[in-house]
Amino acid sequence: MSSVATLPLPAGAGARPRSAASLLPWVVLAVLAAFPLIAPAFGLEYYIGFVRRLLIVMIAATSLNFILGYGGMVALGHAGFVGVGAYTVVAMVEAGVGSAWAAWGMAIVISAVFAAAIGAVSLRARGVYFLMITLAFAQMLYYLAVSLRTYGGDDGYGIYTPLSLGGLDGLHADIFYWVVLALAALVFAFSSRVAVSRFGHALMGIRDNETRMAAMGYPVYRIKLVAFTGAGAVAGLAGALLASHNNFVSPSLMHWTESATLLVMVAIGGMGKRWGGPLGVAIWLTLAEVLKLYTEYWHWPIGLMLILVVFFAPKGVATLFERKEKTQ
Amino acid sequence: MSATSLFEAKGLVKRFGGLLATDHVDITVEPGEIHALIGPNGAGKSTLVNLISGLLPLDEGSLSLDGVELAALAPHQRVRAGLSRCFQVTSVFKSDTVLDNLLLAAQAHAGSSFRFLSRRAAEDVLMETALRLAETVGLADVLGRIAGTLPHGAQRKLDVALALAARPRLLLLDEPMAGMGPEDSLQMVALIEQLRAQTAILLIEHDMDAVFQLADRISVLVYGRVLTSGDASHIKGHPEVQAVYLGTEAHA
Amino acid sequence: MDAIFIFEQLLNGLGYGLMLFLLAAGLTLVFGIMDTMNLAHGSLYMAGAYIAAKVHESSGSFLGAVLVAIVATILIAALIEWLVVRRLYSRDHLAQVLATFGVILIADDLVKAIWGPSPIMAPTPAALTGPVQLLAELPYPAYRLVLLGVGLAVALGLYLLVNHTRMGMLVRAGASNRSMAEFMGVRVGRVFSFVFALGAALAALAGALMGPIGAVQIGMGEAILIPALVVIVIGGIGSVRGAFVAALLVGLVDTAGRAFLPPMLRAVLPPSLAADLGPALAGIAMYVLMAAVLTLKPAGLFPARA
Repeated sequence: MSSVATLPLPAGAGARPRSAASLLPWVVLAVLAAFPLIAPAFGLEYYIGFVRRLLIVMIAATSLNFILGYGGMVALGHAGFVGVGAYTVVAMVEAGVGSAWAAWGMAIVISAVFAAAIGAVSLRARGVYFLMITLAFAQMLYYLAVSLRTYGGDDGYGIYTPLSLGGLDGLHADIFYWVVLALAALVFAFSSRVAVSRFGHALMGIRDNETRMAAMGYPVYRIKLVAFTGAGAVAGLAGALLASHNNFVSPSLMHWTESATLLVMVAIGGMGKRWGGPLGVAIWLTLAEVLKLYTEYWHWPIGLMLILVVFFAPKGVATLFERKEKTQ
Repeated sequence: MSATSLFEAKGLVKRFGGLLATDHVDITVEPGEIHALIGPNGAGKSTLVNLISGLLPLDEGSLSLDGVELAALAPHQRVRAGLSRCFQVTSVFKSDTVLDNLLLAAQAHAGSSFRFLSRRAAEDVLMETALRLAETVGLADVLGRIAGTLPHGAQRKLDVALALAARPRLLLLDEPMAGMGPEDSLQMVALIEQLRAQTAILLIEHDMDAVFQLADRISVLVYGRVLTSGDASHIKGHPEVQAVYLGTEAHA
Repeated sequence: MDAIFIFEQLLNGLGYGLMLFLLAAGLTLVFGIMDTMNLAHGSLYMAGAYIAAKVHESSGSFLGAVLVAIVATILIAALIEWLVVRRLYSRDHLAQVLATFGVILIADDLVKAIWGPSPIMAPTPAALTGPVQLLAELPYPAYRLVLLGVGLAVALGLYLLVNHTRMGMLVRAGASNRSMAEFMGVRVGRVFSFVFALGAALAALAGALMGPIGAVQIGMGEAILIPALVVIVIGGIGSVRGAFVAALLVGLVDTAGRAFLPPMLRAVLPPSLAADLGPALAGIAMYVLMAAVLTLKPAGLFPARA
């Protein structure tokens, strides 16, 4: 169509120049990939495990950001899906499965099933009622885990023989770190991509004006359900990785304060911003880690920061970087 | 005549508690027709639009468009069946650009939205549709503007464009002239006149001049019931209509 | 499982339900009138419990301790309202959840700093330590009876306040249609400060009363907050009557689930399965109740808004 070129279009609608900002993810990835090799030189070996945990939580936060930030679904039960993933790994271990890939894959599938079922019911509710129903389901999962004495009940379940990574076993002491990094990068890339896809645009449209979206012919409920299910599946992956990271799983993983913490991390980082999840997790966990070095009272500064963010940076820290990164 | 009607609503009933908001309403729209629905405030016009578009569930009655029964369909399925609507209170995506608004509308009617990995910005077909819509309603010069910052009249046009993307066979316009000045109203009348070639229109409107100018047929809704139905001269001459609605106002 | 056991458990459930009501009443009014979700309500409950336990321990007067706890908690609530909550009225629910979650984090550390990380003992008032012979076969702890009595009395008082006083009328008007109430000249801001203080007093009372039969520890507020939220959702947000009915329902369902479900399951299922399933179903019961109510009545049992 010839008129496309002559009409005044907003910048960025057509061809996209590769800016310095689009290199940022690669730089971050390179630094993180090199970290286990460099860390020992500075005596920071301990922090390899810390960064690994950070990356796992980032996966969970990114999945929550997808439904919360892009989809406008204020869910207060996301830790439930993390728990489902973790307990799927426990069930696989208990059943004699030794392959990490099989266990994690199953965790994704099972959490997706749970998320689809829970979403199908919850998404009929709006606002606070949606929040409360997602919370209620997560509580149900919590009590289910507490009562499963085969898997340790309240005390939790220790995985004494770490799962095998197949051909990757023994390549390097920190191979699990790189596997986690690769998966986190994959989840980040995938969610960034979906955000600019047809599906992502439809999801954001629903967040901004659900009635109009239905009136334009969008299957609103189905789109939300697919997003919710996908986010649940990815949260399940995070839970499975967390099980392997700790070699221990307990119901506390699913306590409602864990769901609230995920919500808080995303909000601090920036809802609906691609860096929102990772930034929020990095800020929250690093702050907690540092504060714990100096004091046992490390909750209140975080609480104070949270209140300050709500009042003074309501769109999250990621918006501070926005001007530099206008690539959507 | 009813055998060939494009759109047929029969015996529509809606109750809110004890209140009968829509009282056995029958309405037809013929192909290419502009059928205007007028009535005093509280007559149940908006309720009727919401019943037809599916935002409110029907208590009784049937709806068909081109032989397809609509009553059991969800709002988005009715749009797919060819029924599209505008909103009395402008309903656009205020924090997006006009172009993004139009792209979103175009996307709804050009293939599945369950595509996750390809960039939407790369789809030229959507861009073409969006630009064509912009030209149709006269917003081609403001594609890059944030919709919420547009003047009221332009936002109303955008609202119409979002509904047009569905290529509807019946378009429901819920008071398109609401809150408009004379200049904007004239433009909107011209736009609606121009749309007549593309779609049949059910027009709810308070602006009598516009209604008499545009409508092939006018129905008067009072207390949730259709009082009478006919062309402009019939309505103007109807004593009951003058009593309940037009009052003493004289129209040329 | 005999009739006496059942009766005893029902009384326990009623007592728990009444305490839940004390918490939920404030929560539902704040939510209904100012459309504000205050997670820190549980922290007020914790404050009441700690202050009452400590004052009781040092002074020996339970009644005095409860009164001190209520007054102190009202002051704390006023401070929280002034510093945080008041700025959240016009914000969305998510902002409210986030900021009041921040308040919880601060409150928990504060309690830890003042009274230490371990749970503390809240003594039962000396005069009420013994049992009362309710029926020939049923001795019931005197303290729990007092709990029931106080709970019922407060519920009655709240009923009279909300339905038969001018302030109550304003509160109801605010809960059912805030902008209309403002339009009619109701000073909603002042009504709200009153309601917030009232809610804090009730939360403190519940905390002080629950101390001797529960655990006074950090995190107790978060633990009871969720059942309280379930109560206000079941009852219909903004409705005190709904909160009362729902609190009793939840109290009974929860207690009955824990007491009756395991033995009933043992009767019909293999022991190992019953042992697993019993506690799970009991813990889940109130959430199933909420899901069922919302399926039938999406705005709760007694919707306050038209």
